[in-house]
Amino acid sequence: MPGFTHLHTVSGFSPRYGASHPERLAERASERGMDALALTDRDTLAGSVRFAKACAKAGVRPLFGAELAVAASAPSPDARGREPVRQDRRRTPVRGGAFIDESTPRVTFLARDGARGWADLCRLVSAAHTHEGLPLLSWEDNHADGLTVLLGPDSDVGRALAVGRPDRAARLLAPWRELYGDALRLEAVWHGRRGTGPGSLRLAARTLGFAAEQGVRPVLSNAVRYADPGLGPVADVLDAARRLVPVDPAKGLDSGEAWLKDQGAMLEAAERIVEAAGFRRGTGLRLLEQTQATAAECLVDPEDDLGMGSVHFPEPHLVGAGRRTAQRALASRAAAGMVLRGYAGRREYWERMHHELDIIAHHGFASYFLTVSQVVDDIRHMGIRVAARGSGAGSLVNHVLGIAHADPVEHGLLMERFLSKERVVLPDIDIDVESARRLEVYRAIIGRFGTERVATIAMPETYRVRHAIRDVGAALSMDPAEIDRVAKSFPHIRARDARAALEELPELRELAGRKERYGRLWELVEALDALPRGVAMHPCGVLLSDASLLTRTPVMPTSGEGFPMAQFDKDDVEDLGLLKLDVLGVRMQSAMAHAVTEVRRATGERIDLDAVPEGDPATYGLIRSTETLGCFQIESPGQRDLVGRLQPSTFHDLVVDISLFRPGPVAADMVRPFIEARHGRAPVRYPHPDLEEALKGTYGVVVFHEQVIDIVSVLTGCGRGEADRVRRGLSDPESQERIKVWFAQHAAARGYDAETIQRTWEIVEAFGSYGFCKAHAVAFAVPTYQSAWLKAHHPAAFYAGLLTHDPGMYPKRLLLADARRRGVPVLPLDVNKSGVAHRIELVSESKGSKGSREPEEPKGRKEPKGPNGPQGVWGLRLALSDVHGISEAEATRIAEGQPYASLLDFWERARPSRPLAGRLAQVGALDAFGANRRDLQLHLTELHRGARGGRGDQLPLSGGRRTAPAGLPDLTEPEKLSAELGVLSMDASRHLMDDHGTFLEELGVVSARRLREARHGDTVLVAGAKAATQTPPIRSGKRVIFSTLDDGTGLVDLAFFDDSHDACAHTVFHSWLLLVRGVVQRRGPRSFSVVGSAAWNLADLLEVRREEGLEGVAERLAGPAGAGSGAADDEQGPARRRLAGSDGRPAPAGSAARDPMEDRTIRMPTGYEMHPWADLRPAGEGPAVGRKLWHQSPGSAG
Amino acid sequence: MTILCVRFQLPPMYETALPGLLGLLEEFTPVVQALPPDGALADLRGAERYFGRTALELASVIRVRALALHGVDCVIGAGPGPMLARMALRDARPGLTRAVAGDEVREFLAGKPVVALPGVGARTARTLCEYGLDTLGRVAAAPLSTLQRLVGARTGRELHEKAGGVDRGRVVPDAVSRSLATERPFTRDELDPGRHRRALLSAAEELGGRLRALDKVCRSLTLTVRYADRSATTRTRTLPEPTAHSAALTTAAYGLYEALGLQRARVRAVALRAEGLDPAEHASHQLTFDPVDEKVRRIEEVADRARAKFGPRAVMPGTLAA
Repeated sequence: MPGFTHLHTVSGFSPRYGASHPERLAERASERGMDALALTDRDTLAGSVRFAKACAKAGVRPLFGAELAVAASAPSPDARGREPVRQDRRRTPVRGGAFIDESTPRVTFLARDGARGWADLCRLVSAAHTHEGLPLLSWEDNHADGLTVLLGPDSDVGRALAVGRPDRAARLLAPWRELYGDALRLEAVWHGRRGTGPGSLRLAARTLGFAAEQGVRPVLSNAVRYADPGLGPVADVLDAARRLVPVDPAKGLDSGEAWLKDQGAMLEAAERIVEAAGFRRGTGLRLLEQTQATAAECLVDPEDDLGMGSVHFPEPHLVGAGRRTAQRALASRAAAGMVLRGYAGRREYWERMHHELDIIAHHGFASYFLTVSQVVDDIRHMGIRVAARGSGAGSLVNHVLGIAHADPVEHGLLMERFLSKERVVLPDIDIDVESARRLEVYRAIIGRFGTERVATIAMPETYRVRHAIRDVGAALSMDPAEIDRVAKSFPHIRARDARAALEELPELRELAGRKERYGRLWELVEALDALPRGVAMHPCGVLLSDASLLTRTPVMPTSGEGFPMAQFDKDDVEDLGLLKLDVLGVRMQSAMAHAVTEVRRATGERIDLDAVPEGDPATYGLIRSTETLGCFQIESPGQRDLVGRLQPSTFHDLVVDISLFRPGPVAADMVRPFIEARHGRAPVRYPHPDLEEALKGTYGVVVFHEQVIDIVSVLTGCGRGEADRVRRGLSDPESQERIKVWFAQHAAARGYDAETIQRTWEIVEAFGSYGFCKAHAVAFAVPTYQSAWLKAHHPAAFYAGLLTHDPGMYPKRLLLADARRRGVPVLPLDVNKSGVAHRIELVSESKGSKGSREPEEPKGRKEPKGPNGPQGVWGLRLALSDVHGISEAEATRIAEGQPYASLLDFWERARPSRPLAGRLAQVGALDAFGANRRDLQLHLTELHRGARGGRGDQLPLSGGRRTAPAGLPDLTEPEKLSAELGVLSMDASRHLMDDHGTFLEELGVVSARRLREARHGDTVLVAGAKAATQTPPIRSGKRVIFSTLDDGTGLVDLAFFDDSHDACAHTVFHSWLLLVRGVVQRRGPRSFSVVGSAAWNLADLLEVRREEGLEGVAERLAGPAGAGSGAADDEQGPARRRLAGSDGRPAPAGSAARDPMEDRTIRMPTGYEMHPWADLRPAGEGPAVGRKLWHQSPGSAG
Repeated sequence: MTILCVRFQLPPMYETALPGLLGLLEEFTPVVQALPPDGALADLRGAERYFGRTALELASVIRVRALALHGVDCVIGAGPGPMLARMALRDARPGLTRAVAGDEVREFLAGKPVVALPGVGARTARTLCEYGLDTLGRVAAAPLSTLQRLVGARTGRELHEKAGGVDRGRVVPDAVSRSLATERPFTRDELDPGRHRRALLSAAEELGGRLRALDKVCRSLTLTVRYADRSATTRTRTLPEPTAHSAALTTAAYGLYEALGLQRARVRAVALRAEGLDPAEHASHQLTFDPVDEKVRRIEEVADRARAKFGPRAVMPGTLAA
C-alpha cells in the first residue's frame, strides 16, 4: 500500500480558520505514520518556520504552500459585455454591517522547485496582499514555474463541477493549464457531505471523472482544518468569528471530518470516490499513488531553500563603504571616531578597538555595524533623540561610531557580552528613539535602503481568555452585555486556563458559581487557546537585508501606514537568518524632547540633555526622596521602595539600582546583602582577593553579567569570550553540572584552594543566568538620570513633556497631582493660551491669578536661575490635545488662530465642532468670554444653529468681549470637576479626593502625608483613587496584589496577601475609589507600605453616605463579606508580618489559611517558584481614568 | 384632585383586554381617555358628587373592581389635571394611590426630573440636562426667553407653564384603543432573512386577524427590530389606504423590512404595531377591476370564520404551517 501525504492542510496561522497549531499537526502526522505533510495556510506563510522546526523534531518532511483567493482569468470576449449588469448593489444595512464576502474561488499552491518554488510562493503571497480589502491574487500575477497548483472544490473549476457544469469547468480549466501545464492537479475531497457541494462524494467523483476526461492528474486531500477528530465545533466558532455572524445550525455546520486522517482512512475515502466515479475499487490505490507522487515532487529544503541559518546584510555600497570592503570602511570610521571623541592618545582604547574589530572581522559582521551606524546617523540628522540600549552598548566600536552613548571602557562594559569569537549568533543592537516620531524613523530607513531590503516584522495576535470569550460568546448568540461582563471579570490569562482560573481565583468565585449556565462556552474558549486571530506590526522590529529579501519572505502592507511587513514574527526572523534591528519607540525620549523644546520656546535656554553635568546633587536629592513619579525606570512602587532603601548618589548607584530591580536579583536575594553592605551594616567580603577588582563596585555582591564573566575568566583563565559562553550555560541544570566540574578543575589548576572555589561556585551558581547585563543597565540609567535631572530643574517643562507623551505606568491625572504636590501651578485650559501640546508659562507675581489654585506645598517652587535664566514660577498650561474627541486639525486650528477677541470670533475662526465647543466651555476653556459656562454653551448652540441655517446670526453681546448672561444655573464645583474628569480625564482644578474630605475625616482615614509618621504595625484606614494594580511574580511563589492609591497628598502603596484575597480581590480589581484597612509596614525612613486586610469601594460608600447618612455606612460596613469587609480576624497573623515585596524575603511557613494554590506553583528552571496567576495584567480595566472616578451628577452633560 | 390616571398591570401582548377595562372606568364617568397599551385617564369631576365619594375613595373602588372582575391589578395617580395625574402615577404603587392636591403642586414638581413631565421626550430632556436644567424646579426658575432659546418658542412656553404647575390639558373621551402590537422573538441571534420574513408574515397575519375581530382598520404600520445588544431600529410607514387586510399588512411589513437592508445584524425579535385605528365602517377601499383582490378578501373572511370555529391554527399561510 502506498503512503499518503496531506497536501492541503491549514494551521491556526490561517486567522480564524485553522484550529490546530502547526506543531500539533506535525506531531500527529508523525504519530499516524505519515512521512511528509504540507502546510498550506490561507494567505500566509507565517506558520512555515515553526512548521519546519516542528517537522524536523517529529521526523516528518515538510512541504510548504499557501491557499490563495484567485481572481478570475481575463473574461472571454463574449462575456465582457455582460460584466456591468452583475453589479447589483445591495442596500447598506442600517445595523450590523454587511456580510463578509468570501465568494472568491480559492486555490492551493505548493512550492515544488526548491528555492525557486519558495521564492515564487513568497511572490504570490505578497502579490495577493497588494489587493485592496481581503487578499486576492490577480490573474496577471498568477504565474510561477516552481509551484504545483491544486484546484479543489473551492476553485472556480470545482465550483463549476459542483453546479453540474462540466462544460464550463473545461472552459475555466484551459487558462490554468496554459499557465501551469503539467504542474496542475485536480483535488478531490470527501467529507461525507450530501448533495453535490464541496466535501460531497458526488463532487469528489465528478472531479475524478473530469480529471480523467481532461487528462489532468487528480490528487486526494482532506482539506484539513484541525489535527484531531471532534474539533468540528471549534471550526464552527472560528468560521463564525471570521464571518462575524453567530453559529447557525440551520446553515450547515462543519462536517467534523476535516482532521488529519491516517492512511487507512484516506485509502477508504479514495476507494469510495473511485467507485462513485465508476472505476474499479483498485483504482483507489492509483489515486493515492498520484497524491504521493505529487508530494514527492515538492522538494523544498528548510535549510537550503528557505535560507534558515545564513545571514544577509545590506550591500556595502549602501552603507557608505563605497568601493572599499565593509571591514576597511568600518575600521577607518572607527579610527575617525576615536579621534573625534578624544581617545586618540589613549593606548587602552586603541587596543580595545582593534580587538573588537578583529572579532567583527572574524564573523564578517562589518556591514551590520555600518548599517546600524548609518541608521543612527540618519535619525540624528532628522533631529530625533536616539540612544542605543542592550548589550550593544558594551562595544567600544559602537560607542565611537556614535551608536551608543556611554563609554564602555569607563563603565567596565565588556565586548564579549555582546559578541565574541566563541559565540556564533547574530549580534543584537537595539536603538531607542522618540516614540512620537518612530514611524518617521521607519520611513527614513525604508527610504534609505528601499522596500526591497526593508520590512517590518509581524506580531501575531493570539487568542487569550478575554478575546476567546468574546468570540465564542458571540458565536453562541450570547447576550453581548453578558459576554462583556464575563470577559472583563477575567485577568489577562491564557485561554486554556479559563476553567482552572474559575476554580481557583477568588475574584471569579461568583462567576464560577454560575459557570454551568454558559454550557459549552468554557470548552470552546480553551480550544481557541493561542490561535492567531490577526496580525499586527511588531512595535519595534525592522528587517534589514540585501535585495533578495522578497524572495525569502512574503511581505504584506500594514493596515495603517502601509509599511511593508514580513509575515514572520521575531523568532521566525531569527531562525531565517534575517537581520533584525530593534527600533523602539520610547515615550520618555519624546517627553524629554518636548520638555527641552518647551524650555527653549519659553525661556530661550538651550538644554543639551546628553551633556547635563554628572553628579548633580539636586537630582540625586530628588531621587533619594523617592518622589520619582514620571522618572524613567524608577517610578514603580517597587522601585520607589528600592530607591528609598538604596539611596543612590552616583550614576553607578543608579546602574546598580536598575539592575537589582529584576526578578532574578530579587529571587537570588541579592538586594538585602547589597543594601546592608552599602550602608556599612555588613562587611564587604570577597571570596578571594583576586576578585576584588571585579566585585568592588557592588560591595562584593554579584549584580551584573559582566561580573560573572570576569569571575569565571579570572579563576579559570579561560578568556572572556569563553566565560560568556559558560555564563549562558548556567541557566540549564544539565550543563550546570558539567560546568561545575570544569570550573573546579581549571580553578584548581591555577592554584586556588578548594574553599575559595567552593564559595565562588556557590555565588556563580546562585546567580544563574538571572543577573542583569550591565550594558543594558547603563543604557537604561542614562535616560533615568536625564529625566530625574529635568524633574529637579525644570519641573513644569518635565510635566508638560510627560503629559504630552503619556509615558509610564501611571494615569495622567496622577502626574498632575504630583505636579501640584511639587508646587508646579496647574493652569487651566484656555483657548487663548493653551497650545496643541502641554506648555509651560511664566506665572506672574500674583500667583494663581489665572484660576489655578494655590498649590498645597509651596516648597520647591523656584526654577533654578541660569545665567540669563528666568526668575519666578513656571506653571503648566494644559493642552488642547487632551480634550476628549478633539481632532489634530481642530487643535491646530484653535492654536493657530490665537488670540480670540470674543466667543463669536472664536467660533468663526477656530471652527470647532459643536460637541467640542461644548466641552471646551464645560472645562472653562472659554471662561474669558463669559463667566457662566452654561450660558456659553447656549450661545454656542445658537451659533451652531445660525451657522447651519446659513444666516449670520447676531449674538446678544454686552460689554464688548463678554457674552450676555442667559440666566442658566452655572456649573457647581462638583459638576466642574466632573466635567474635567469627563473631558480631560484629569482633575485639573483640584484633586478629586478633596471633595470627600468630610467623609474621610468622619471615617478617620489617614492621609498619605500623615502616613509617613505612622509607626510600624499601626492599623490604619487609607483611601484614594486607584492608580495602578499589579500581581507581579515574587519570590515566595504566592500571589500578592500590589496597588497604589493616590489621595492628593501623596501615594500609598498597598499589598494584599493571599489570605485577604477572598474578601478583597474583587473589590480591589473592580473599583476605582478604594477605602482600605491595613497595617503599616515600615522598612526604612522613606520606605513603608500598607498591608491591606479589608477593602471597600469608596464610591459606593460615598453614595450611601449621601443618601442614607452615617447609619447607612455603618450598616454597609457591618454587612456580609460580599460587600468587601470580612477577613477582619487575625490582624497580626504570621502571614501579615512578612512583606514579600521587592526585598524578596522568603515567606515564613504556615500561613493562616491553607492556600488552595499552594501546589500549583510554577517552578522556574532555577528553582525560583512562581504563582500560576502572578505576573498577569489583573482583571478590571486598568487604572481609573476620567469619568469613572466620579459619580455622574444628573446636571452635567455626558 | 379629580382626574385619575390608571395603569392596569397587563402582561404584554394582552392589550386587547384594554377595551373591557375601559368599560369598567366608564361605569364611573363617561369622560375616559385611553392611554394604550395599558393605561387610561378618567375625569371624575361629576362622579365625585354623583357617588358622594372623593376621587381617592373611588380609586380604591376601581382597583377592587378591576381585581374582582378582570383579575387585573392597577396603579392609580390622582391630580387636578391630566398632566399632574400622570406624574402622580409615577410615584404610586399597587394599593397606594398617589394624589397631588392643588396647593402642593409646585413642591411636588420642583424635585422631579424633567423627563417625568409628559411631553418631554428623551431629546428635550437631554438638551435641558445639558444646560443644568435637570429638575422641574430649575426649569420653572429659568427665564422664559432662555427656555425658548433652548427648545424652541412653543415647546419653551409649554414647558415653562407645565413646570410652573399650570395644567391646561383636558381628558378627551376616546375609548378607542389606538394601536395593536405583536412581537415575534427568536430563541437565538437570527440572521436569516427567510426566517425574519416568516416571523413578519405571522405577525402581520395575527394583527390583521385581531383588527378584523375588533372591526377596525389601521392607517399605518410600525416595524421594530430588536437586536442582541438590546438596541432596536423602528420604522413607520403609512399604508396606501386604511386596511385590516392581512395581505396588505404583510406587503407593508416586508417593504419596511427590506428597506433596512439587514445583513449581519443579530436580530433577537421583530415587532409589528398597527397604528391609527379607525372603525372599519369609516374606511374607504379602492375597488379594482381585478377579481383576484376581491376573491382574496372573501377567502380571508371565510378563513376568519373557520379560525373562529376551529382555533387560530385551523387556516394559515403555507410557509407558517411548515
